[in-house]
Amino acid sequence: MQPKVISVSELNKFIGLLLESEPGLQDFWLRGEISGFKLYQQSGHMYFTLKDEESTVSAVMFKSRTRALKFMPENGMEVLARGSISVFNRQGKYQLYVDELQLFGAGSLSLYLQQLKERLEKQGYFNEDFKKPLPSFAQKVGVITSQDGAALQDILKVLRQRHAGIQVIFYHSSVQGVDAPMELVQGLRCLNTWGDMDVIIIGRGGGSWEDLMAFNSEEVVKAIFESQIPVISAVGHETDFTLADWVADVRAATPTQAAQLAVPDLQQLGKEIKRWQQRMQMAIEKIYYSRSESLDQLVMKRILKTSGLLQSLQSKEDDLQDLSARLLRAADDNFNRRQNQLAITSSGLDKLSPLKVLKRGYAVVRNESGVIRSVHQVLPGDMVQLILADGELKVKIEDRETGKRWKE
Amino acid sequence: MERIKFEEAMSRLEAIVDKLEAGEQDLEESLLLFEEGINLTLFCQQQLQVTEQRMQKLISKLDGNFELAEVEE
Repeated sequence: MQPKVISVSELNKFIGLLLESEPGLQDFWLRGEISGFKLYQQSGHMYFTLKDEESTVSAVMFKSRTRALKFMPENGMEVLARGSISVFNRQGKYQLYVDELQLFGAGSLSLYLQQLKERLEKQGYFNEDFKKPLPSFAQKVGVITSQDGAALQDILKVLRQRHAGIQVIFYHSSVQGVDAPMELVQGLRCLNTWGDMDVIIIGRGGGSWEDLMAFNSEEVVKAIFESQIPVISAVGHETDFTLADWVADVRAATPTQAAQLAVPDLQQLGKEIKRWQQRMQMAIEKIYYSRSESLDQLVMKRILKTSGLLQSLQSKEDDLQDLSARLLRAADDNFNRRQNQLAITSSGLDKLSPLKVLKRGYAVVRNESGVIRSVHQVLPGDMVQLILADGELKVKIEDRETGKRWKE
Repeated sequence: MERIKFEEAMSRLEAIVDKLEAGEQDLEESLLLFEEGINLTLFCQQQLQVTEQRMQKLISKLDGNFELAEVEE
């Protein structure tokens, strides 16, 4: 009997029918590692190979199915693929038509991440040397997250609590699903191209490991690394790090914390400035007191000059009224003195006044060559001049005694 | 608020406070420092007076450019 002649098309069709009528090859779960992954941008279909130690099989996932994916598949991921075997007629090869894809088990996921992390680490992406410092007084913040997530609201709330004048430039991106990695990358590039901002926050609220996978994607890691603007990662999860956290210049545990790290708290800054005012006030008063005994020409000269200082400061009276009131309060608190003086400088100057010092019982001793600071400047028998608050005395030195009488 | 100037003013202020507290200058210099410090605190306090800003959204357009849009929150 003559063997039957059939066409190639008929053969493939026939084999296809055979495979499709085998229940064991229809709607089953296949476990394997993804390799050769390719996403065709135009069609949206995904093509990849599933493999184990010994074998490989081709797989395709059509766009209609990928929409439900929670993560972007990547080479090296261990997955469970649900689907059916059929024949791709044109090439005469059988392949798995995938309906559903899941990451296989936490163990293999963490192994996958561990390997990816080690590879990126070797390439230097997590190197501390490349990390940029955050600005201490950020004025403009870029935020990349989903417009629908709670993270955006958390970030905005905290940014504004701390800094009412903060400028926020927001870029909406999906934070989970197939499109998330690409959109996050796009956001980083857009904000960098736009420039003109001090820091970028990229993140989302907490979720399952699958939900967070976009922040483990290699492209996102690279885009964060390439950002010229410092990046704070803010993926809401407590225990583990995403790869975005490793590459970011600073990692925040939550979006809220990212906002705290990004901008200064203006109220705190105001308080700090006030504290510095108080410290300056205390310091200058201490200087006046400790040096008022040696009222020399310099001080006299300074008194005259500081009337100029007083004027120049009083010319800013509007500004100064508020300031001086605050500083006076500070001075009152510190020294329990209440004086009705208008300007802080005048209060300082008054204490500096030589007259005031002299009134406290001090005297300036001088002779024709100037102020006498040391017993060695005079000899018994010399005439010296004592300047008191209300006049002068001419006195004659009878004796002199060296050695310190005053303990400093 | 002008960021660079503000940062400079804050760090200069800190240096002045430290110097005054160390008290190693003569009176002449101390008073000059004090005057400078007061002026710096004035400047910094003024810079902290900010006006509220709205959030803007950066949108990438099809032609590859971007535009900033105001956002209704």
